[in-house]
Amino acid sequence: MTSPFTAVLGSLIRHRGVSGCLVVGERDGMIVEANLQIGVKGDAIAALSASLYRKARRSALAAGFGEAGFFELTADGGRVCAVGRNELVLVVIGEPGVNVGIIRVEMLRALELFQ
Amino acid sequence: MATDEVRAISDQLAADPSSIAFLPLGEALRRRGQLDVAWKVAQRGAERHPQRPDAHDLLARIAIDRGEPSRAQSEWEAVLRLAPGHAAAQKGLGFLRFQQGDFAGAAELLGAALLADPDDQSLAAALGTLRAAVDESAVAAAPPGASDAHAVTDARALFDEILGDQPQTALLIDRDGYVVAGQYRTADGRDLGADLAAQLSGVSDEAERAVEYLKLGAWKQIVFESEAASLAMAPSGEGVLLVATPRSVPLGFVRRLLERSVARAQRWLETGT
Repeated sequence: MTSPFTAVLGSLIRHRGVSGCLVVGERDGMIVEANLQIGVKGDAIAALSASLYRKARRSALAAGFGEAGFFELTADGGRVCAVGRNELVLVVIGEPGVNVGIIRVEMLRALELFQ
Repeated sequence: MATDEVRAISDQLAADPSSIAFLPLGEALRRRGQLDVAWKVAQRGAERHPQRPDAHDLLARIAIDRGEPSRAQSEWEAVLRLAPGHAAAQKGLGFLRFQQGDFAGAAELLGAALLADPDDQSLAAALGTLRAAVDESAVAAAPPGASDAHAVTDARALFDEILGDQPQTALLIDRDGYVVAGQYRTADGRDLGADLAAQLSGVSDEAERAVEYLKLGAWKQIVFESEAASLAMAPSGEGVLLVATPRSVPLGFVRRLLERSVARAQRWLETGT
């Protein structure tokens, strides 16, 4: 079975250092579709990334900066990137050394699917 | 605090409304940005335990996050009536006085708070700035060049050299969401740094929760774009350093700006210069 997101998730997971990519409901943190390396805990990533993105989006709105776009969290052990639209969030999780520039471009382009 | 823990405390409070579980529950809700619910929980708790200073302190911190400084002030004053010398209340009132331009009053309160909590770096740095501000008239009367030494201790101007003339902002925010250094000036000259800090500091709390649960180690940086601005934040001291730039500034440059601002804040916190 394929969905509108299958191709983009399949493309993102092929980037070096990417361990998982998911489309998640922003409100409930539930997975809509995911492409994960073996051993990656999709449910936890989905719930926490959605919550983090929602918090950033609401904070930016409250501070008068408008809707949030690309979001990136860098930690010692990895990176979490997210973009969202229409209550869906596209999440990519990977190693610290992942090439964020190309992933960001691809994620922003994929937002067209979230209309 | 994980959702399960919040639920457990909430259940505990429901089973025994007279317990003091409203304190950790209210604080957890505040940190999550659920300010209306946090306020209700804290208010009910304070009604049942009006003699508890920590109940009023919680109300004051939620009021700050809700952008209600006068309410926060009256709650912290209530804390000091119940517990003279309460460090958190002195700190909160000190920062409020600072925002009101009452530097002498702020210095007195923050000095007292520092005596109670000598390890709080943000208090020491803020106090140094305030003392410089109190001495401003003396600085103005000093010979040319003498004021340069004081300029670096002016917390509001700490990042000016890094930011240049561009409409960019850097704020050093302590663990309670107060601005320690930097400013956010609007076109009409108002400093909205405190508002910005209150709105955005919760993002780092959420990040801490996420990296802990996902076992990603310590978080180092958050960058996100919005319609009007690019925002970046990183841990600094016991708080967070926040940089905001117009959206037209490339993200890579925003990161460099953040790194330089973190280094500047670190030097200032350690040496006061």
